[in-house]
Amino acid sequence: MKIVMDGKEVAAERGQTIVEVARRNGVYIPTLCHVPALEPAAMCRICTVELAEGRRSRLVTACNYPLRSDAEIHTDTPLLRQNRKVLIELLASRCPGSETLRELAERYGADLNRFPAEDRQCIMCGLCARVCERVGGNVLALCGRGVEIRVDTSFGRLSPTCIACTACVQICPVNAIRFEDVDGERRVIVRGKEASRVPLRRCTSCGARFGPVIDLVPVLERAGESGVPPFNASVCPACSRRNLARRLAERHFEQHAVEPRDAGEES
Amino acid sequence: MATATSVVPDLAWTKKISSPHELADYRQALLAGMDPDAPCIRVCCGTGCKAVGSLDVLEAMKAAVAAAGVDVKVMPEVKRTGCHGFCSRGPLLTFQPQGLFYQRVTPGDAAEIIQKTAVGGELIPRLLYKPPGAKEPIAKVGDIPFFAKQTKVVLQRVGRIDPFDIRDAIAAGAYEGLAKVLSGMTPQQVIEEIKTSRLRGRGGAGFPTGIKWESCAAQPGRHYVICNGDEGDPGAFMDASVMEGDPHAVLEGMAIAAYAMGSDRGFLYVRLEYPLAVQTLAAAIRQAEDLGLIGRNIMGTDFSFRTSISTGAGAFVCGESSALMSSLEGKVGRPRAKYIRSTEKGFRDSPSNLNNVETYANVPAIILRGGPWYTSYGTERSAGTKVFSLTGNVHNVGLVEVPMGTSLREIVYGIGGGIPNKKELKAVQTGGPSGGCIPIPSKFLDINVGFGKLAEIGSMMGSGGMIVMDENTCMVEVSRYFINFLVEESCGQCTPCREGLTRMKETLTRITVGEGREGDIEMLEEIGTFTNSFSLCGLGTSAANPVLSTIKYFREEYDAHIHDKKCPAGVCKPLFYYEIDPETCTGCGLCRKRCPAAAVEGEKKKPHTIHQELCIKCMECYRSCKFDSIRIK
Repeated sequence: MKIVMDGKEVAAERGQTIVEVARRNGVYIPTLCHVPALEPAAMCRICTVELAEGRRSRLVTACNYPLRSDAEIHTDTPLLRQNRKVLIELLASRCPGSETLRELAERYGADLNRFPAEDRQCIMCGLCARVCERVGGNVLALCGRGVEIRVDTSFGRLSPTCIACTACVQICPVNAIRFEDVDGERRVIVRGKEASRVPLRRCTSCGARFGPVIDLVPVLERAGESGVPPFNASVCPACSRRNLARRLAERHFEQHAVEPRDAGEES
Repeated sequence: MATATSVVPDLAWTKKISSPHELADYRQALLAGMDPDAPCIRVCCGTGCKAVGSLDVLEAMKAAVAAAGVDVKVMPEVKRTGCHGFCSRGPLLTFQPQGLFYQRVTPGDAAEIIQKTAVGGELIPRLLYKPPGAKEPIAKVGDIPFFAKQTKVVLQRVGRIDPFDIRDAIAAGAYEGLAKVLSGMTPQQVIEEIKTSRLRGRGGAGFPTGIKWESCAAQPGRHYVICNGDEGDPGAFMDASVMEGDPHAVLEGMAIAAYAMGSDRGFLYVRLEYPLAVQTLAAAIRQAEDLGLIGRNIMGTDFSFRTSISTGAGAFVCGESSALMSSLEGKVGRPRAKYIRSTEKGFRDSPSNLNNVETYANVPAIILRGGPWYTSYGTERSAGTKVFSLTGNVHNVGLVEVPMGTSLREIVYGIGGGIPNKKELKAVQTGGPSGGCIPIPSKFLDINVGFGKLAEIGSMMGSGGMIVMDENTCMVEVSRYFINFLVEESCGQCTPCREGLTRMKETLTRITVGEGREGDIEMLEEIGTFTNSFSLCGLGTSAANPVLSTIKYFREEYDAHIHDKKCPAGVCKPLFYYEIDPETCTGCGLCRKRCPAAAVEGEKKKPHTIHQELCIKCMECYRSCKFDSIRIK
């Protein structure tokens, strides 16, 4: 299989997507709704490239197009640049002030203020919904249709199945999702609206609130045979670290037969 | 409105047909019991006629026959049928075997029809069809240009048979194609026959059906055969009429396709807004199963094929094949990228063949009469016939089937009877909301309608909607209407369709209310090009066609809206006013009487005037004036 990308022959394996090949070969293709860990959805369309396979030449999205035969790909033609510019301008009106869009706008010469701002704080990349389906409790989804489409919980209510893993917070490219730990609860807030409240557990060692109380069964189920690495869910990370450090120190002293200096002063 | 529906004959206790040859015997037996010369009154009960009360007419006719009982030697049979096609003249009925055609029939006419026509053999002139401009009415179906100029392949049985009685369909030749397939053709031969016929998908894209079947058949795993009955284009009702008038053609076509691809399971995805089609199909499936024509061991052979109906929930985008399959799986109806074809990985990730209703309905005739026969209709690149729903500003609104390659002139003037009210033809919109507007008068009036030709001039075949527009149509408003429709129907997942359409709608709305700005046309072109090239599915990649084609051909109209703040067609209310031309006004007073806002003033026999502050621009005066004295300014 011979793949030529922007005039240069590149290494590629059959079935790889154009983005995978590009990333491996250091070719830049912009993406907004793509992370390698998740199934591509091809929703944002900014990764559209020109593809010539055989006699046909057409526009395809790089994130999900599987290369199966010889192809010539152009990733940065005037046509693509022009359309990417319009795309960024349109998204900027939904989500003014986004750093991600500002960077892209600079690259493609887009005018972020071309269309009046309607602050929806979201570029509809759908990453949060997809990561929630794979990692979290399948809480966030694309609700509604057409112009009204939005990220929301079932029926817009506080979700009873959220495990407060905050994967959505991490993945959102425009920082529209955040969480805060208050009053012994973790609150996940999507575009200013609370999506869930999950109680935080207390550390049995120091008494501080730390991770959310979650039902581990679905997590274990999803992990399947590979299982979940053992962890002590009753102790907070700080205590856990301290305990580990103490054990290591004890072993060291035992091996070197040195009396610990202040063995009795354990806090 | 009568609520009575036809009684669906129960055939559960009938002996199943146990071999393909037995179907022929069964048909002969049915035909032996029928007298071809026996009088029969076919009452059109398609959706169009039903809406204007044909079920009441049907009941009244039945009652009138029963009442006349003793006087008549041979009682005419009153039969409920599917759409006859001439929707604007409904309720319709035809008298067989003479082929008399009555239109605009009311229940009150029933007794008279039976007494005069059925018993006395005389015509009732007021119920006959009179073509526009003609002096004499036409009595027979075959003499009416609307019917005479059509070629019926898909619609051959629609309007002739009772869609609720499979025996009627079998007597007219249904399932003969399936019997032929099962009595010795190999799946490969079936596919070859379809390839020879050069049949192309009638849903819009026009993909060669034989090639699709072949690539699906070549895949390993369980195969599914899916029928797309989610016809959603505004003003299109071709598939509805086929499903309502001859559901067996669809089932037979699907069964043949299933045989060719080694499938045993089919789905009919029908939109919820077609309740009658769901009824007829459900009855058809049950009766066909009762007779062993669908289901396990069809006609006694090893071939089994089960099919069921799934209804949509009102989303236009579910007519897109991948969204349809997603909806069929019980998921949200959103399209997916089709880089891996459905024939390889479609419904439930299995190889799935999806065709639309009309495509399947073509199949039995092709099998029965051969691929070469089919190619004798149409053009090199577009073989066969195509059903169009002819709507808009045309005399004969209805369903027409013509060979591919028929000129627009023939369809609009020959069959459609031209434009009413002495108006000029301005444009023909084809291909539904994703199609384009073809400007006329121009050389385009004589183009041969086919897949390639329409695409060449910036429109498309689509599923066969054809909207005729006269001079009082504002093209800016037309494109605003379609874009608005698509904004409502976009699934919203991909940026170009969701955001691009929203901005185009905003801009077009602004232009139609007189707030258009310099640069708007260029912006529409820019966003339109973007939407068409970057969208995910077929809806998005053609969404801007109404805008781009109207800008291409009617740019001066956009300019008039934006720069002169005028709507030359007199549609966008803030952008025009009516004025009475004092030179030609005779002062007849008709407009004064018709005006609902009392805005027209004037003495008899003296030129009238319109009070602009009272005028609501309803067009009533403009339409009623017999002297063309009312001007759009």
